[in-house]
Amino acid sequence: MAEQALIQVENLRFSYPGREVPAVDNLSLQVTARDFFGLLGPNGAGKTTTISILCSLLKPAAGEVIIDGFDALRNKTHLRRLIGLVPQEIALYSSLNVIENLKYFGRLYGLSGSELKLRIPHCLELVGLQDRVSQPVATFSGGMKRRANLAVGVLHNPRILFLDEPTVGIDAQSRNLILENLKKLNADGMTMVYTSHYMEEVAQLCNRLQIIDRGEAIAEGAPQGLLGEHSDCPDLEALFLKLTGRQLRD
Amino acid sequence: MRSFLATFCKDLLVLWRDRAGLAVLFLMPLALVIVVSLVQNNIMQLTGDSATRMILVDQDKGLVGQGLIRYLSERDEINLEIGTDAEAARSAVAAGDYQCGLIIPSRTSEQLVIRLQQQTEAEWSDSPKVSDGNTDLPVEIVFDGTIQGLLRFAMTTTIRYALFGLETIQREHITMQMVFAELNMPKEQAILRETVPDPLLVVTEGAAAGQPLRPNSVQQNVPAWSLFGMFFIAVPLAGALIRERQEGTLKRLICAPAPAWQVLVGKTLAYSLIGLLQFGLMILVGRYLLPHLGTPVFDVGDQPLAVFVLALAASLAATGFGMLLGVLVRSYDQASMAGAVAIVIAAALGGIMVPVFAMPGPLQTLSRISPLNWGLDGFYELFVRGGGLGDISSNLVALLAFFGVTLLAAISIFSFRSRYGQ
Repeated sequence: MAEQALIQVENLRFSYPGREVPAVDNLSLQVTARDFFGLLGPNGAGKTTTISILCSLLKPAAGEVIIDGFDALRNKTHLRRLIGLVPQEIALYSSLNVIENLKYFGRLYGLSGSELKLRIPHCLELVGLQDRVSQPVATFSGGMKRRANLAVGVLHNPRILFLDEPTVGIDAQSRNLILENLKKLNADGMTMVYTSHYMEEVAQLCNRLQIIDRGEAIAEGAPQGLLGEHSDCPDLEALFLKLTGRQLRD
Repeated sequence: MRSFLATFCKDLLVLWRDRAGLAVLFLMPLALVIVVSLVQNNIMQLTGDSATRMILVDQDKGLVGQGLIRYLSERDEINLEIGTDAEAARSAVAAGDYQCGLIIPSRTSEQLVIRLQQQTEAEWSDSPKVSDGNTDLPVEIVFDGTIQGLLRFAMTTTIRYALFGLETIQREHITMQMVFAELNMPKEQAILRETVPDPLLVVTEGAAAGQPLRPNSVQQNVPAWSLFGMFFIAVPLAGALIRERQEGTLKRLICAPAPAWQVLVGKTLAYSLIGLLQFGLMILVGRYLLPHLGTPVFDVGDQPLAVFVLALAASLAATGFGMLLGVLVRSYDQASMAGAVAIVIAAALGGIMVPVFAMPGPLQTLSRISPLNWGLDGFYELFVRGGGLGDISSNLVALLAFFGVTLLAAISIFSFRSRYGQ
């Protein structure tokens, strides 16, 4: 018997005003609990739009989103208690230090008192920023900012973590630390929905993935399974290029 | 309430770390209040709102010179100094050391007595009155070039009144001497008054609607430029909203399960508190700093609660405007430009720079749509007309309605745009 989906998306459709082509077109996907689910696609494929809809940031024109058994499009407050978000941007107050950012977002996520006091050092240690707590985020390197961004996303220990290109533009050491921690969090039970352009990361992390292009799903399954279906592709990058084409996407 | 308090503290901390923004918010209205109050105080002095400095050169040394000195010395509105050299006095006035000068030529009193005797005798005789063609006895008044027309008129009228009084006294004395001569009484018994008599018919300045206060430079400028500075909170607030949108923190705020209203109220009150602090600082400046620079002391009146409520309402209105601005514009540059222009226009229309009554008719009508005018009019009601909370109720309603409308518009536009990814 198949495991029940934690995230069930059916026929999702979303168009940005003034654009003829929908950003997400009839997209369906399933994510089961403890999955490390990769959402891949070239620029403009609809990855960020899909994550934004799943996080209640955008309202789809059509479709259904069931998360943990409830209608996520109607029960936003319930949804927001379950999820964490690590957006593409460094979504932190740059004039505040990392502890001040963690305290603020922690309180918005309902943490307080001893719970917040316990979670902050834990998250700082997780991302290796325990020695830079008094430094304003603005003075951080790119890698430190990405790590701080992740720390805020996991502060309230969400059941589902949405990560939108969390390692873009950072050094190998920071990337390695982030990936190791994401694996650890996933192993501890956190379900991950993850977008990236780095195929080696996807191969390393994801147990299931979906490739989308122009808002539509074009392939879905376990990485090894997908590679097995395309024996001419030695790795995920070759598979990705085969399915999405080599023409530039700007 | 946890999210409200967290947002309130976070926004205050973010503002506190933005030292350049804080400097603009506090130093700009501070500089404006000080400079404009001092300038306007000087203009008020030049237009006669305070004692006029006058130098008098008495070349006459007779009853006219002495009588004028006595009369002018008793006037509170004139600081009289006695000079000895007419040319030096003219130069001192031209240099601005005195606002006006009075030169009484020599033999003025002697000539006056002769002319009055001739006139009186001619009036008493049966022969027809013949003009000698040279009856004017000029007393020269000179003004500093910067003196406004109304002050010139007032000073000239004061001197004319004094001269007329002195002339009347002398005419009365000569007439009495002639009457005594007609009655074969010694004319030396005729009394010569020494001073211009106090008039029986006097003009007294009352207070419109029984209120005793008049606005001085600080009572006009402290509330006016405080409001101007308070509305400038809209620019950093709009900038903060744009940064939250561009940097992605807004996504985190929306994705958090915290009630949106708590985040909104926390942000609103943090920025409104800054507005109140600006206003408080301006009051302290008007009360304790400006008097050291020569202006009157700023009097907050006896309605501190009403002042606080009005300042809070104005601050909320400014915050609402900032929220709307932050939602409408796309970049910090746009916010700075559009916000500053809108505030300067609203300030100009609202009577911050030029009193509403001095504007052309259509602009006076337009001034009623400026929130700064609602605030300023309320503060004048409290500080100048001695009104209370009940007297500013319409101002409060207008400011709070503006806050409500701008905030609702900001929320609606933001919700619509973010929902559809605009």
